[in-house]
Order: sequence, then structure tokens, then C-alpha cells
Amino acid sequence: MLLKLAWRNIWRNKRRSLLTLAAVVFASLMAIAMRGIQLGTFALNIKTVVELFSGYMQIQENGYHDNPSLNKSFIVDQSMISSLQNTKGILGFAPRLYADGLISYKNESRGTAIFAIDPDKESLVTNFMQNVDRGKFFTSDSSHEVVLGSQLLENLKAKIGDNVIILAQGFDGTLGNQKYKIVGTVKLGVQGMEAATVFMGIKSAQSLLGMGNRVNAIAIKVHNINQLKKVKKSLIQVIHDPNLSVLLWNNVNPGLQQMLEFSSVRGIIFLGILFVIVAFGILNTVLMSVTERFREFGVVLSIGMPQIKLTYLVYIETLLLTLFGLLLGNLLGFVLNSYIVDHPIMFGGEMKKMYESYHFLPQAQSSTDFKIFLYVSLAIILISLFACIYPAHKVYKLEPLKGIRHT
Amino acid sequence: MEIVKTENLVKIYQDNGVPVEALKMINLSVSKGEYVVIAGPSGSGKTTLLNLLGALDKPTKGKIYFEGEDITLKEKSDLAKIRLHKLGFIFQAYNLIPVLSAIENIEFSMMLLGIPEKERKEKALSLMDELGIKELADKRPNEMSGGQQQRVAVTRAIVNNPSLVLADEPTANLDSVTAGHLLDLMERMNAEKNITFIFSSHDRQVIDRAKRLIILKDGLIES
Ligand SMILES: Nc1ncnc2c1ncn2[C@@H]1O[C@H](COP(=O)(O)OP(=O)(O)O)[C@@H](O)[C@H]1O
Ligand SMILES: [Mg+2]
Repeated sequence: MLLKLAWRNIWRNKRRSLLTLAAVVFASLMAIAMRGIQLGTFALNIKTVVELFSGYMQIQENGYHDNPSLNKSFIVDQSMISSLQNTKGILGFAPRLYADGLISYKNESRGTAIFAIDPDKESLVTNFMQNVDRGKFFTSDSSHEVVLGSQLLENLKAKIGDNVIILAQGFDGTLGNQKYKIVGTVKLGVQGMEAATVFMGIKSAQSLLGMGNRVNAIAIKVHNINQLKKVKKSLIQVIHDPNLSVLLWNNVNPGLQQMLEFSSVRGIIFLGILFVIVAFGILNTVLMSVTERFREFGVVLSIGMPQIKLTYLVYIETLLLTLFGLLLGNLLGFVLNSYIVDHPIMFGGEMKKMYESYHFLPQAQSSTDFKIFLYVSLAIILISLFACIYPAHKVYKLEPLKGIRHT
Repeated sequence: MEIVKTENLVKIYQDNGVPVEALKMINLSVSKGEYVVIAGPSGSGKTTLLNLLGALDKPTKGKIYFEGEDITLKEKSDLAKIRLHKLGFIFQAYNLIPVLSAIENIEFSMMLLGIPEKERKEKALSLMDELGIKELADKRPNEMSGGQQQRVAVTRAIVNNPSLVLADEPTANLDSVTAGHLLDLMERMNAEKNITFIFSSHDRQVIDRAKRLIILKDGLIES
């Protein structure tokens, strides 16, 4: 009966109910769209960056990430390979070796970051190899071939096919130097990296640096980014080596994580402000609808309706409107977010440049993750209940006679 | 049996700091089955007295005994319970719940008592039938005339078999023919069901038909 009463009261002042409804629809749609774009774009950014370079996960020797050194390296033996192959959720893994060195061509030399990979395995994990803009990438069985960052080739004033000398301090502290043929260049997006990175086969690097079979890291790609933690857990169990640690993409790229978290917090603050405004809007309409009915409330209180039941009525009315508004807002939000998922918003101009400088695809994605809808809906239910507290309190304090006399 | 009794009842309102003595010293006793009309000019304290008898307000001094129990010191929520279980109210301005149909208005106070829906409907319908307003069952208040609304209000007031029904100028907004019908109805309920009525009025017709008349003047019982 209380529900029936609430339902009919909602229809009584259609305009006001529509206003509340519109506020809820607007707030939920807005929040779902914003949160969708934010989280969807973040996921895309993470995916882009992670798949371009770092991989979702890396195995490293303890402490390597904070303080890289060739000494913090390890041997990839058969048991580790089968551990990796047998861990559920792993799509691919690639051994890597990083070192600093000096690259020279004729009179030009440059400091360089040596990035040694196994091309066959690397292509299962990351995709920077697809960014070849001149020549080709070396293959797994080629030796003494290198690929340079596009800019580095120009800085050295070299051409594809030229030979360069690379000098680096090896594992045991001695300097090694070897001659390599430039077979191609890659675009890496970031200027600094493009001007300094040289890629070579992992075997070539191991011989240059006197590393034997040792590597600095194994980059890993997983099937599902949402299961990273689970995969990490089972991987730690099977590797079973206290000297090795498993780092997630956010440990490998702390800057990216921070940046995304910062803009996420900013988005949440904005939504918080939106919600406060909506809460006051709802408070206002509820208060109006309640004050208008003091006389009626006085009558039902005189009849002996318990005060508390009357406050329930206030909550139920608002909740009904809110739930209906949320239904609409969620539906519209789902349609909108799905549309953006299928038709990402492409950036141009400054925005495009900025995104590319972070290695991000220059586009905004959205998300239809169930959690977005759930949290937005819960938040709005909470604020509308919150907005009822004051009006409900006024009803709770209403004296039957004051109500009857009120007009 | 005594339903309600007052002892040296005084009610002083504060009107912007100015004390207004609405009731000065009321001693009154009403027994089961009585049909009492409180008459008196406007401002004589009729509404004030009914509100006190109806546990809607508290006296400044004096005592009210309802079925032998002192209700002057009771909590708000206890008074609400007494109103719900023991009292029925009829207001001058009908005061039905506008979004509920006639039958739902009648069911409303039964709902508050926790009576199941089926029983509520049956009881409301049979009582409406008895009072000759069955055809109004599905009408909303704004689809009914004043007289019809007031009949529904009477039905609502008596449906829970209260010990006492209080009505503050129930005929004031009705023409004399309609008012006569309403009085017939209340008299019938009084006679057939032995329901106790106390109502206020300054309507000649009502006063003439009173079985017991109390005349109030300036907050005092004149006779
Ligand atoms: N809430 C109130 N505050 C102040 N004065 C009141 C209030 N209610 C009634 N009065 C005063 O008390 C007196 C009695 O009023 P009331 O009981 O309404 O008389 P009646 O119903 O016989 O017209 C009047 O003088 C009226 O102005
Ligand atoms: Mg009056």
C-alpha cells in the first residue's frame, strides 16, 4: 500500500517528478559516459604502451628494475621455459637483454641503449617490430645485424646496409666491441628513444657482453589483462626462485600508472561535484513535494500512521524515481558507450601529438564494463537517499496538528 | 462505561508570546454510546477541546482519562497508537488522501493496523454497502462531491470499530440536505453499532438533533 501510495504520488506532480527523473538520467548517463571513456581510454593506453614495449609482465632478477645492471641477470633454462609454457593465461614470452653502449659510424658516435631481443619470441609479446620504416627487422638466426631507431640512423648520417661499431662494457667489466650491419630502422614514437635505441639479436648481445646464456628480463603477454594478478601468482609458484621477481606493467612503467591514476582521480572529483549538484537538486524537489503535502501528512498522522512509516514514504518515492531514472540512464549509457567502443573518437592536432608522445593511440575509447554501471548506479542511489535525509527528518518531526493547520 | 473524562482541563496557546486561554477549566465525562454535540460560537474552543480529546495535542493543565487511563503524560508514539486503535476522526475539510480511491482511503487505516489485504477489502466493501456508498468505491476524492467525500470519511473513521469518533464541524462545508443525510448516517451508526460520537458544530440542524448538547463559550462550558 505504501508502494502504491508512493507510485501515485509520483504521478501526481508529473513535472516535478520528470525533473527529478531527468536529473537522475542526466547524472547517470554523464557519469557512465565519462567513466566509460576514461576507463576505456586508459585500458587502450595501457594496452598500447604495454604491447608496444614493456609487455604485461616481466620476470627480472630482484632489484634490477630499481637499479639495472648486467650483474642482475639470470639464465633461462629448460625448466623455466616449460614453467612459462605451462602456466595458464600466458600467451607468449620473450627474453631480453638491456645494456648501455656507444655506437659509431665513420666520425659520428652516439651513446646508445642496446635492446637485445629474440624476434620470433618478441613478436608474440610486443609489436614495436611492426614499426619498421626502412629496411627490415633482423631474424632470429641472423647475427651481427642491428635495427636502429629511425632518428639514430640520421644522427649517425648512416644508411641501411652500412656497418657500425658498437662498444659496450660486458658482464665481467671488460670492454667488448663488434661490427654490425644496419638492416633497418623503426619508428618508436618518442624522440629520445628513437635517437638512442639499437636493437640486436639476443645471441649477438650475449656474445658482445660476454653474458653466456644470461638475460635481464623475460617479457610476458597474457590472454586477459584482468587476470594479471592471478597469472603472476601462479607464475611465482612455478618459477620458485627467490632471486627472481615478477613485475606487472605498472611496476615496469610507474610513470604511466601514476599518470592514469591522476586523471582517474580528476575524473572522479568532477563526478563528485556533479553528484553534489544533483543531490541538491533532488533535495530541493523532495523538500517541495513534502512541504506541499504537510496537510495531507497531518491527516494521516492524526489517523494514527506512525511517523516512521511516513518517512519511508518519502524514501520510497524518491527511490522509485531514482531507480527508474537509473534504468533509463544505464540503458542510454550502455548504448552510448557501446557506440564509442565500436566508433572510437579520433584525435587530431595537439591532442594527437600529446597522445603520441606517450605512445598512446590518438583516440578515445569507451568501456561497457559492468562495474562502471554498477558503481555509478550505487553512487546515485546513495546520493538520492542522502538527499532525502533532511526532508524525511522534517516529516519525522511533523506534528499532526501543525500539518492539518499548514496551508 | 466511561470512555473519556477531563479534569480541570486548561489549554493556553502562545500566540507570538501572547498567551491565549482557549480552554479555561473543562470538566467533562462522556460514556459509551453517547452522541454528544459541542456547540458554541467561533473561537469558543471547540476545536481545541476536540484536539485534546483526540490525543492530537496536550493540555497546559489538567488531566484527560481515556478509558480510565491518563493520557496526558504519554509519549507521542503511544498517542499515535491510541489514535490508530481507539479513535476515529472526521475533519471539516473531508481530508481524504487525494491519490487513493474511496475504498483505498477506507482501507488505509486498516492497513496501518496490519490487516491483510483481502480482509481489508471485504470489510471496507461491506461497510460501504451498509452506508449506501458502495458505488463510490473506485472514485478518487476529486471525483466525488463534498457530501460523498464526507460519507467516505465517516466510513474511514468507523471502520476499525473505534471506541470514540471525533468530528470537528463535519457538516460545515455541506448544504443542509446533504448535512441532514450525513447526520442520519452518524445517528444510525450510533444507534446500530453503539459507536460513541463527539462532534463540534455551530449548525442549527446539528444542534437541534443532538442527544446531549454541551455549549462552550470563551473556553468554558456554559451548559
Ligand atoms: N495554534 C493556536 N495558536 C494560538 N491560538 C490559537 C491556536 N489555535 C486556536 N487558538 C485560539 O484559541 C481560541 C479557540 O480556538 P478554537 O479552538 O479553534 O475555537 P473554535 O474551534 O471554537 O472556533 C481562539 O481564540 C483561537 O484564536
Ligand atoms: Mg474550530
